[in-house]
Amino acid sequence: MAMRILLVEDERKVADIIARGLKAERFAVDVAQDGQGGWEMADAYNYDLVILDLMLPGLSGTEILQRIRRKNQEVPILILTARNGMADKIKNFEAGADDYLTKPFAFAELLVRVKALLRRGPVNRSSVLRVGDLEVDRLSQQVRRAGRRIELTAKEYALLEYLATHPDRVFSRTMIIEHVWDQSFEGLTNIVDVYVRHLREKLDDPHPVKLIRTVRGVGYCLTEGGQP
Amino acid sequence: MNTRSIRFRLVMWYAGLLAGVFFLLVVLLYFNLRHFLENDQRASEARRARQITQALLVHVKQTGEAYVASQVKDWFEPEINGRFIRITRADGGVIYESGPPKDGSFNPQEVPALTPSAQAEFSRKLALSGGKTMLVSALNFQSSDHIGYRVEFGELLDPVEAMLNHLFLQLAWGLPIAVLAVAVGGYLLVQRALQPVAQITCSAEQISQHNLSERLPVTRTGDELERLSHSLNRMIGRLDDAFQNSKRFVADASHELRTPLTILRGELEDLAENQRLDPDLRSRLGSLLEEVERLGKIVEQLFALSHLDAGEAQTEWARFDLATLAKTTAEQMSLLAEDKGLHIVCHADRKVPVEGDRSRLKQVVVNLLDNAIKYTPVHGTVQLNVRTINGHALLEVADDGIGIPPDALPHVFERFYRADPSRSGDSGSAGLGLAIVKSICTAHGAEVEVQSTVGGGSRFQVRLPLSRQPDSP
Repeated sequence: MAMRILLVEDERKVADIIARGLKAERFAVDVAQDGQGGWEMADAYNYDLVILDLMLPGLSGTEILQRIRRKNQEVPILILTARNGMADKIKNFEAGADDYLTKPFAFAELLVRVKALLRRGPVNRSSVLRVGDLEVDRLSQQVRRAGRRIELTAKEYALLEYLATHPDRVFSRTMIIEHVWDQSFEGLTNIVDVYVRHLREKLDDPHPVKLIRTVRGVGYCLTEGGQP
Repeated sequence: MNTRSIRFRLVMWYAGLLAGVFFLLVVLLYFNLRHFLENDQRASEARRARQITQALLVHVKQTGEAYVASQVKDWFEPEINGRFIRITRADGGVIYESGPPKDGSFNPQEVPALTPSAQAEFSRKLALSGGKTMLVSALNFQSSDHIGYRVEFGELLDPVEAMLNHLFLQLAWGLPIAVLAVAVGGYLLVQRALQPVAQITCSAEQISQHNLSERLPVTRTGDELERLSHSLNRMIGRLDDAFQNSKRFVADASHELRTPLTILRGELEDLAENQRLDPDLRSRLGSLLEEVERLGKIVEQLFALSHLDAGEAQTEWARFDLATLAKTTAEQMSLLAEDKGLHIVCHADRKVPVEGDRSRLKQVVVNLLDNAIKYTPVHGTVQLNVRTINGHALLEVADDGIGIPPDALPHVFERFYRADPSRSGDSGSAGLGLAIVKSICTAHGAEVEVQSTVGGGSRFQVRLPLSRQPDSP
C-alpha cells in the first residue's frame, strides 16, 4: 500500500512541485493550503508523514505541530521554512519536529529526507553498498571496483559513501557540503567539484563505464548507467 | 594651543575686553586726579595770598612795606617750607621776595614776573630748570591809598607729579597682572562650562551601530547643553530606527526571496532531469540552475549577516582551541589549494583557548583561506598562523598573491564590495565573504585588519580575546 503524505503549504506552486515529485515516487499526497485545513486533515486521517510549512494563513505551522503532537506522538513531521535561525530550529525540534528543511531546497534533498523519515530504520541494512561493479564496505571503509581495491582519503570516502547510499539520486553541492563537510563550508561549493574530480581520477578513469554523473546546475549522482 | 578653539577665543575676548575697560578707567582716573590735585594746590596758594593781603597789605599805609615783608617771612617761613613768595608794587618795586629754599629744590631768581592779567586772581604754571614745574597763584590788591600790589605765592608741583607717577607705575604693573588673572580664571571657568560638552562627546564616541539603543546622559540644566543632549539623543533615535529598518529590510527581503527561489529551482530541476529533452536545452537549464543557486547563496549570506547583526551568534557559545580549529580547517581546504597549485602552510601554537560560536569562527577561517586561495596565482603560498600575543589570540592569513590596491583597502569588508569589478563573474561569489568575516568578528568582540601591497600579497589579521576560563581538567 502506498505511503500517504500530508503536505501543508500555502504557496500553490511550491505545493505543486513537491506533490508532483512525491507522486512520481509513488507516494499518495494530500495538499492543504492553509493552517486550519491542514490541521483538520491531519486530525481526520492517519498519515505516514506530514510536511509542514511554518508560515501559514490561519493556524501557524508551529501551532499545528503542537496539536498533532498532543494527539499523535508517532507520525514523523518534516518542517519547511523560509527561516534558518538557530533559535527557530531549536524551538521546533523541541515542539516535536523530526527534521527541518530551509527554502530554497533541492527536491532531491527533500526526497532523501522524506525517505529517511519513512524508513523507520536504515533501508540499506547491509554494510556493503553496491552500484554496478562498485562495492563500498561501510564497516572496513574499503572500496573495490571490479574486484580491485581503490585507496581513498577520508573525505573522498565520505563523499563516495554519501553518493552510494542513494544511487541514481542527484545530490546538490549544498547537500554534499552539509553531509560531508559542515555548515562553515556553505557557499564554498567549488570544494565539492575538486573532490569529485579527485574521486573520478581514482574511480572512473581506469574504467570505460563512468559511474559518477554530473547533472549541470543540480549536482552529482552515482549511477550504474554511467554518464551518457 | 589651538587658537580657533572656542575656549581660547572666549578667554581672549574676556581678557581683551577687561584690558580695554581697565585702560579707560586708568586714563580717566589719572587725569581726574591730576586736575583735582592741581586745583587743590591752586586753592591753598590763593588762600595764603589772600591771607597776606587781608592781614598785612590792608594796613601797609600804617605799618610800612618793610614790616609787611618781615611779617610774611616770619609767618610762612618760605625757605624752610620750600615756597616761593613775592610781593611787588604796581610800579615794579619788589617789596619782598623769598630766598632759595633750604632743600635747594628751585632757584627763586628763575621765577619770571607773571604776565599781567586783568583778573584779580590768576595762576600760571611755570617750567623751571631741571624739569621742574611750579604753580604760582597771584593776587592783585589795591591799598587804601590807591597803590597797587601783587602777591605771588608758588609751590612746586613735584609732590603731585611724584604721586601721580607712583600711581601710574602701580597701575601699569597691576593691569597686566589683573588681566592675566582674569584670563586664567576665565579659562578655568570656560573649561568648567564646557565639561558637560566633553562628557557628551565622550558618550557619543562610544555609540556605534551595535549599541544604538543607548542614549547620552542628559544634564538637567535647562539650558543649551540640555537641549544639545536631547537633540543628539533624538538624532541617535532616528539613526537607530533607520538602522533597524535597513536590517529588517535585509532580513525580510532574504526571507521573501526564498519561496520564489524554491519554485524556480524545483521547476528547473524537474526539467533539467528530463532525459527526453534536447541536450542543448538541458545544458541551458543547467546554466539557469547555476544562477538560481548563486541567488540562493546570496540570500543565504544576507540572511546570515542579518542574523549576525541581531546578535544571533551568541546562541552556541563555547570554549575551544583556535589552533586545532585552524589546523583542521587548513587540512580540509588543502586539496582546494593544491588544485590551484598552491600550498597552505599552517603554523599554530600548541593551545590558543578562545570563546565563541565554533562554527561561525570556523567560517572566518574558511572565508579568509578561500579568499587567499582565490587571489593567489599558481605556485604561491598561503600562510595560516595562530598564536597568542599580549593576551589576545591572533589568527593571521597571509598570501603572496595579487594584493589589494590602496584605494580599495578600506572597503574590502563592505557588503557587495569588489576590489576589481571585472572579477565579479568568475567565482560565483557575491562579495559578501569578507563582510561575513567582519560581522562574525564584531559579534565575538574581535578585530579584523588587513594589510596589502599590490603584487606583494595580503595579510588578514583577526585579534580575538583569549578565554579567561581556567583549563577544564
